[in-house]
Amino acid sequence: MVNVTFNKNYLFRLLGLRLDEKKLAMHIEKMGFEVETSTKEEVGIALPANRPDVVDIVGFARALKNFMHKSKKLKYVIKGNAPALEISVGGEIEGLRPFISGMVVKGMKFDEQSLKHLLAFTEKFASNYGRNRKRLAIGLHDLDQIAGNLTYDAVKDEEFLALGISRKMKLSEILKRNEKGMAYAGTIGDSKLYPVLKDANGTISFVPILNSERTKVTGSTKNLLIEITGTSRYIVEKSADLFAAMFLDLGASVEKVKVSYKGSSVILPKMSSANIEIPLIKIEGQIGVIIGFNNVISLANKMGYEAALVGRNIRFRIPEYRLDILNEQDVIEDIAIAYGYDFIQAVSIYSEQMGEIEDATRRSRELSEVMVGLGFSEMLNSYLTSERQDFDSMRLKDHDSKYVRVKDAKMQKLTMLRTSLLPSLLGNIGMSVHEKMPQRIFELDFVFGISGQVNENQMLAGVITDPKSNFNQIKAVVEAVLQSMRIEYQIKENSHRSFIEGRCASVILKGKNIGVFGEVHPEVLSNFGIEEPTIAFEISL
Amino acid sequence: MHRYEIAVLKCLEPGKPLSLEQLVEKSGTGRDGVLWAIEGLSKSGAITMARKESESVSLTEEGKLYASSQLPETALIQKLSKKSIEIRTLGDPQSRIGLQWAKTKELIAIEKGIIILTAKGKEAISKGIGEEYVLKKLGENPSLFTMMLKEKKQEVENLLKRKLIVTERRNEITSITINPKGKELLTAETKHEGEIDALDKKAIATRSWKGKKFKAYDINVPVESEIPAKLHPLRRAINSVKDTYTNMGFKEISGPVVIPAFWNFDTLFTPQDHPAREVQDTFYLSNPSQIEILDRKVMGKVKEEHEQAWKSDWLEQVAMQAVLRTQTTTVSIQELYNLSKYKEYKLPLKLFSVGRVFRNENIDYKHLPDFYQTDGIIVGENLTLANLFDTLTKIYKSLGLKVKFKPAYFPFVEPGAEMYAYHEERKEWLEVAGCGMLRREITGIAKKNITVLAWGASVERLLLITDKDIERLPDLYNNGVGWIRSRKTL
Repeated sequence: MVNVTFNKNYLFRLLGLRLDEKKLAMHIEKMGFEVETSTKEEVGIALPANRPDVVDIVGFARALKNFMHKSKKLKYVIKGNAPALEISVGGEIEGLRPFISGMVVKGMKFDEQSLKHLLAFTEKFASNYGRNRKRLAIGLHDLDQIAGNLTYDAVKDEEFLALGISRKMKLSEILKRNEKGMAYAGTIGDSKLYPVLKDANGTISFVPILNSERTKVTGSTKNLLIEITGTSRYIVEKSADLFAAMFLDLGASVEKVKVSYKGSSVILPKMSSANIEIPLIKIEGQIGVIIGFNNVISLANKMGYEAALVGRNIRFRIPEYRLDILNEQDVIEDIAIAYGYDFIQAVSIYSEQMGEIEDATRRSRELSEVMVGLGFSEMLNSYLTSERQDFDSMRLKDHDSKYVRVKDAKMQKLTMLRTSLLPSLLGNIGMSVHEKMPQRIFELDFVFGISGQVNENQMLAGVITDPKSNFNQIKAVVEAVLQSMRIEYQIKENSHRSFIEGRCASVILKGKNIGVFGEVHPEVLSNFGIEEPTIAFEISL
Repeated sequence: MHRYEIAVLKCLEPGKPLSLEQLVEKSGTGRDGVLWAIEGLSKSGAITMARKESESVSLTEEGKLYASSQLPETALIQKLSKKSIEIRTLGDPQSRIGLQWAKTKELIAIEKGIIILTAKGKEAISKGIGEEYVLKKLGENPSLFTMMLKEKKQEVENLLKRKLIVTERRNEITSITINPKGKELLTAETKHEGEIDALDKKAIATRSWKGKKFKAYDINVPVESEIPAKLHPLRRAINSVKDTYTNMGFKEISGPVVIPAFWNFDTLFTPQDHPAREVQDTFYLSNPSQIEILDRKVMGKVKEEHEQAWKSDWLEQVAMQAVLRTQTTTVSIQELYNLSKYKEYKLPLKLFSVGRVFRNENIDYKHLPDFYQTDGIIVGENLTLANLFDTLTKIYKSLGLKVKFKPAYFPFVEPGAEMYAYHEERKEWLEVAGCGMLRREITGIAKKNITVLAWGASVERLLLITDKDIERLPDLYNNGVGWIRSRKTL
């Protein structure tokens, strides 16, 4: 989700008409977006992450206009192919941030709203779609301050008078001291060379961190240079199409630039648009409704596609500004949205398949029934825990690395996956000291360990806290559980630091230790704040 | 009334007081029983007890020693009757005590270090010492104390001074008399005489209850509370979700919690630089930090699809990072890429899972680091969005909810939708599930020409809507015994 806030007056100006609050909300919802807030001046909208074209208010107005059938603006063309400018890409940039695209925009008439929105959008585009400028970033410059052609390359540390900074700074210093420099230093990594864009008079951008003071864009700027840099050539060049469409919608004229790589060059923006042909039957077949040729074409127009009938297929022209269309499924979704999810009639699937639960589920249910029958209430606890609870509180000191550890948890006390259910259950009892005795609780769920690979084992554990509790009582419970499982078991003496020495036993199944039970050690009880004698068991299922 | 109280009252007649001993004997309830009963009865005014202050006596350890033999001064004068003794030969403590007392009582005299008997002493040898007599008598029968105090006052006082006897004051019950109130109580109680109180095995076997009345109990008496054991409300929700799925012909599947990012993200067509993969949202592990991707064939195809769609390199290192699964959709995908397992099933194949998933979140009223998710897929040919909406509408209808769908974007489905359920109390639509048709880039790896409907939903959120008892998600975990006890089960 990307959240945007649009100025209503500016939106209506772009749209060429005003809408009341209800109507605006209705259209936005029908387009598949969500109105989050609405005031007299502004409307807040949640947009899907794959639609950067509508994150821009200009693109949003275009989409809305198309959707309302107010006008059909389905095609964007840049007149003339002669480049207004050339950008040469140097040899040092290759491993760092190899690709650049751009355009020249002439005859812009900025006002407060349009400049504000343009700056906000480029920022948002670079942070969301550009992955915090790592994948892609955009620079806007006053074209009239640029001298001659441009060079894009990586250079050694140099001095640079950056936008909004009163003195020249070394590029390396910007990365260390400047707020923007520190925020985006990661895009450069530990490279000894710095990506810069230069004109005949020097550096106009420390890419993708800061532009120069000299080429700053203001409200009175008429002509612009747009440069887009990044790590993916396709994304860098396709994004230029999106920006070109936006400037064309704003009434400016857009001119191309020539980007020269070593041994090849390209004229940008390409304004490329692919065609996809989809059989009608496939569109109707995926959505599950009968729509018809004419309707599909009309719905396609609503979503900004030029569409035409070609034999039994419909040919869709993908708009220049759409970055998210990978294959026909994406087009079909747009048709479904335009058709309206609310109008899709539910159709049942015919199937002979019988329902089945897993054996593990069946067994868990039966065992839970036994436990409830024995008077135990069920607890559910987090799988995430800490060494302190899982080992230290249980008097287990030998935590070798045979357990699953997580890193960078927001909740700092969560550092690992639990290796036993007992600490969680003792925790439950510990926070219930004032509850009536006896207290009987159980949990049937997973614990985690590592022996070569990660083991995820289902365990059953039960705890009884009662002034009168003793070893025999828990033995009786364990035997009742094992007998109900029809297991041939043996009980052996055991020594376990969480239990009282001499009052602890293990359950043996075919020579393998599958569980432990006994009277919980008083130190463990104190660690969990438990005040009464407590007995417990845990067995592997 | 308690049966001890009834037994005591029955022994008593107005105007005929009984002693405590008599009452113990007559009632047959034992001394403690009688004492307990008369305490209560006298408080309620059913009887009156007469009491008397008295003094009783007992011998100290030293007293008992002399009572069983003789006083030390007696021993001394008996020796002296045979011969005189030099004072320096009396070394032991007992002889010293005897010397002290014999001297005080003027039974002996000391002349130039030699002890000799006085006339009084000679008389004492023949008559005996009064104190010794009293001591021995009290040792045999302490109740003689009152008499002794009267007749041998000097001796008794000496014995007390010498700490050979001690006395204790007592408030003794001398007699118990029944009052009219007691008689009334007894009459009320014995009205039910002959009625059956507690039914027992013998009464049932011998049918001795026949023709008798059962004593009526006071049904308003407060009783000790019973607390039913119960399943966790979330478990009950999980069970009902599973029942719903199986009723609709779905087969349950499950999968591991600790997996390589590959199965959590890459197979779900999530680009390797997608924000959802960042540490702020996903738990990465330090042990194990990597998990090998075993299915090399699937991996090769996933790499190909990613590089083509996202126009950047796909790295195995990134996909190998170990994570705690963030969605159960991974379980569906792992099963989808193992379709040969379902050779005996006909398409459409319907599968579901319920399991714990993890998000690196701070805990608040609607966020938890781990929670339950349920996921379903239907693998078929020519399935439609209309089929998906139908299936989900039916599932949620059987869970008691009205739903609607809105377009939504998830990297792995297209078309995609969010499902909302109507919350009756809050009168609003709440988001409960994400759904859609799996992308061709994903299904194509499993099998050509299949369509797969998929969805995922939080179980806790469902519970929040359907169970009025649950208000905050964190309540569902790490809770105390009191919380589970106070949950409603119906």
